[in-house]
Amino acid sequence: MCTLIAELWHYRELLWTLVIRELRVRYKNSVLGFFWSLVNPLVTVLVMTIVFKYVMGMRIANYSAYVLTAYLPWTFFQFALLDSSQTILVYMQVIKKIYFPRALLPLATTLANFIHFVLAMGVLLLYLYLYVGTPLQWGLLLVPLVMLAELLMVMGLSLIVACWNAFYEDVKYLVSVGLQLLFFLSPIIYFSEQVHHMSLLPDAYREPIFWAYHLLNPMATYAMAYRKLILPPITVVQQNPGLSAPPVQFPDMPLPYWLLGVNLLMAVSVSLLGLLYFRRKEWDFVERP
Amino acid sequence: MAAVSEQTPSVKEARTPLAIRAEKLTKEFRLTHQPYSSLKGLLLSFLPRRVEHIVALNAISFTVHKGETVAIIGQNGSGKSTLLGLIARVYRPTSGRLEVYGRVAPLLELGAGFHPDLTGLENIYFNGVILGLTRKQISERLEAIIRFAELENYIDAPVRTYSSGMLMRLGFAVAAHVDADILLVDEVLAVGDAHFQQKCYRKIREFQQEGRTILFVSHDMDAVRQIAPRALWLDKGILRADGDSDTVVTQYLASTG
Ligand SMILES: Nc1ncnc2c1ncn2[C@@H]1O[C@H](COP(=O)(O)OP(=O)(O)OP(=O)(O)O)[C@@H](O)[C@H]1O
Ligand SMILES: [Mg+2]
Repeated sequence: MCTLIAELWHYRELLWTLVIRELRVRYKNSVLGFFWSLVNPLVTVLVMTIVFKYVMGMRIANYSAYVLTAYLPWTFFQFALLDSSQTILVYMQVIKKIYFPRALLPLATTLANFIHFVLAMGVLLLYLYLYVGTPLQWGLLLVPLVMLAELLMVMGLSLIVACWNAFYEDVKYLVSVGLQLLFFLSPIIYFSEQVHHMSLLPDAYREPIFWAYHLLNPMATYAMAYRKLILPPITVVQQNPGLSAPPVQFPDMPLPYWLLGVNLLMAVSVSLLGLLYFRRKEWDFVERP
Repeated sequence: MAAVSEQTPSVKEARTPLAIRAEKLTKEFRLTHQPYSSLKGLLLSFLPRRVEHIVALNAISFTVHKGETVAIIGQNGSGKSTLLGLIARVYRPTSGRLEVYGRVAPLLELGAGFHPDLTGLENIYFNGVILGLTRKQISERLEAIIRFAELENYIDAPVRTYSSGMLMRLGFAVAAHVDADILLVDEVLAVGDAHFQQKCYRKIREFQQEGRTILFVSHDMDAVRQIAPRALWLDKGILRADGDSDTVVTQYLASTG
């Protein structure tokens, strides 16, 4: 393990060059570069806001801010995994010519996506504090830690996905289907409180399984963490349009801080697991015909 | 008598250190006849199926000393590129031993390691770092690399606009400037024009004088005889001959007849 990390450190110049290369390729051929890639999440969130405000009857001030703080970390997770699943195949020709730790390829892809994520989060925070006037809160100090944990977890998963896709090219389709499912199973367009609520209903309507699952889904806990660390607590109000019944209220649930510890622990173990797994397999996929 | 003949090589070894030593080096590839790279292949793999073992290199033993230039010849599929791959640590030997001393720079094949959308300059950095230089070292050598490749006017253009000869020049120029101890050249020089080929051969001479080790795969027997004093002949993974390049080339040509 130590030799593995020492080797990756030895090749840090290459890692950095791969990251730069990835970012260059992405922002090439477009004048506005980075800003174009902000347009995509913004438009998506705009559409979500319209649908959820006017069709689903979510009555929340600043709904789009709550969606964005969860959606940006999600896009990082999604694109890092999708991009990483391809890297080994993209660089196959180089891999077959010279040795370097091949783990650098998915790691660099993940890092490039992470840099992008950091910039996007920066823009979001500036917008929130300078334009919207969101009050500053202490939780903000923990956001870098949560981002770091997410980075570690995504690195580990990227290594595994990259490895599998090098053997079975269908993996990237499975990954994209899985990501789509996970998106709807994570509190990005809705709120954790709503899921929690289901476990509190009278017996006949109770669905505790969702809440249990919710706590097990790392992307759910990350979404919850970002939201609660960055934005003020909010009571979610849902009113079915056209109905005269009183709106349902979901009071704010404070962030369980131990969840951050669990996330961090899991992130570290997933990244180590990914490295070790990749290490075991990396000599096999070079010989792939 | 026997003692003398045993002593001669060890005296030589003492003079110039080893660069490469292969001992019963064997490389096998597994070739399955189902599409390996899809899930269908995975599911089918639970059924009994034909797995062919291709022995690309079969118990090869040889040593190369620092400063030697060795040509590797043989028919298509005889294992030449596999041998270079093993030396570049791309593959791991199936059995046997391989020792390689010093930094290895394979001359990356046409386009490998070049991103078509990036400029020649950006690709030089990428290629150089993969070959083991730091970005700073590349910056110092940048001018020399570009001058050698004679691509001054094109260096800021994306390499997708380059011709195959221009790509090869860029690849050779980078590999030539990384201070490698062992240079691996796998029949890529053929696409350069006559002028650039001459330049490459001059550069190879220069390397020889600097005492670097060169392994040179080529199907051009004239080039082999000119450049390399020694040649290895691989035939279906077996080392058929190892010795003076004139003799080995003559044997090889006679066998293919
Ligand atoms: N990744 C691989 N999987 C399976 N078989 C392989 C693989 N790489 C090479 N081989 C097989 O190993 C043998 C040797 O191939 P190699 O590329 O070393 O030949 P070569 O001497 O370089 O030929 P050429 O002159 O055409 O370049 C061939 O039979 C080839 O099919
Ligand atoms: Mg070959």
